[in-house]
Amino acid sequence: MWRKIWKHKVEFYPYFSIYLFWFVGSFLSSLRVQNRPGIVTLGLITIPSILLITIAFVKTYKELPAD
Amino acid sequence: MNVAFKSSDQQFGKKFTVVALSLLMAVIIFSTYLHHFRPDVLKVPSNTDVSTWKMTPLEKTWIYDRMTEGERETIRKNGVPGTDAFHLLLYELLSLFGTWMCFMHARKHYSLWMATAFLVGSFVFTGVQETLMILSGRFWMGGGLLDPNVWGSYWFPQGILWFLETPVWVCLCWFLIAYSCVTVAGKVFPRAGLWSRAFAGGMIAMVIDLWEDPVLTSPEHMKWIWAKGDHVGILGIPHGNFIGWFFLIFVFAILWEKYLPVFEKRLGGWLGMTAFLVLLLCSNVIILTILITWGGIANQLFPLPEGLHIPPASWGW
Repeated sequence: MWRKIWKHKVEFYPYFSIYLFWFVGSFLSSLRVQNRPGIVTLGLITIPSILLITIAFVKTYKELPAD
Repeated sequence: MNVAFKSSDQQFGKKFTVVALSLLMAVIIFSTYLHHFRPDVLKVPSNTDVSTWKMTPLEKTWIYDRMTEGERETIRKNGVPGTDAFHLLLYELLSLFGTWMCFMHARKHYSLWMATAFLVGSFVFTGVQETLMILSGRFWMGGGLLDPNVWGSYWFPQGILWFLETPVWVCLCWFLIAYSCVTVAGKVFPRAGLWSRAFAGGMIAMVIDLWEDPVLTSPEHMKWIWAKGDHVGILGIPHGNFIGWFFLIFVFAILWEKYLPVFEKRLGGWLGMTAFLVLLLCSNVIILTILITWGGIANQLFPLPEGLHIPPASWGW
């Protein structure tokens, strides 16, 4: 699986890019926030978007030609 | 995205990319010089001494209400956080890396010309839009042309390189978010029409921003600072921000996919891109007018002192 992803890595770049943005800009940054009650839990609100990005990732993977 | 047009002229694409990126770099160099070495020209607020914030004093920012007294003292004493070289460089490099990935994908699936048009168009579209909003707060509001109770505005305190008054990392992040979200929408809903995919792309980005904005505007980060003015807050953020997020990506996706190929076919590469940029700038003015007008209406609907806050302000947001 990883070899296939690596071989066609450009196809996944938009998903890696937005995951990276979400992970660093929202998730990691939220861990530093002290005075907003439930700021980390608020991340659950992004589940619909993360789910769609993951579906797009899986669809892209399945559409790739078999090695 | 299902774009019928795909430029086959690689030579033109390379030439166009070099010229377009050179022009973009020239604007960035000039803007960066103005921001760091002539802050008086655009009235750039100081990051080290918040007592010098005359147009929007610390007490008139959204962040002020969210701070404890201890945090207010820390900001007054130490200035805006995250302005050290490590944090500034980290955001510039990460956004550049994400942008590079999206650009490579666009280049492979569309063409070098279309990829460059998306990147440059993103800078012009979002950079100009953000700068208009920021400078309207500094000049119009300060000059009394706009009621400060109606138009809140904001600004970015952190950045090494600048495009007009918007940090380059913000323009790059906007590019990668817009491109990724519209790509995701096209992949998940392949049979949907352009308007539906643009709508889905805008919604995906806006939902991500529902978390990102409260996090990055917190006292610990202060990546951007909102002036008071909007009476309606969602998660401690002026609601106009989320409307703006959705509209910018929705409109840009339609203009890029529908009109750019048409302009290229009718006018050629150079004139086609010029027409595209003019269309983006006109859209900027229209979106800004809609946002200011809607802001005024929303403020009338929910007058102070209560306004409308979701969740209620008593929750600590």
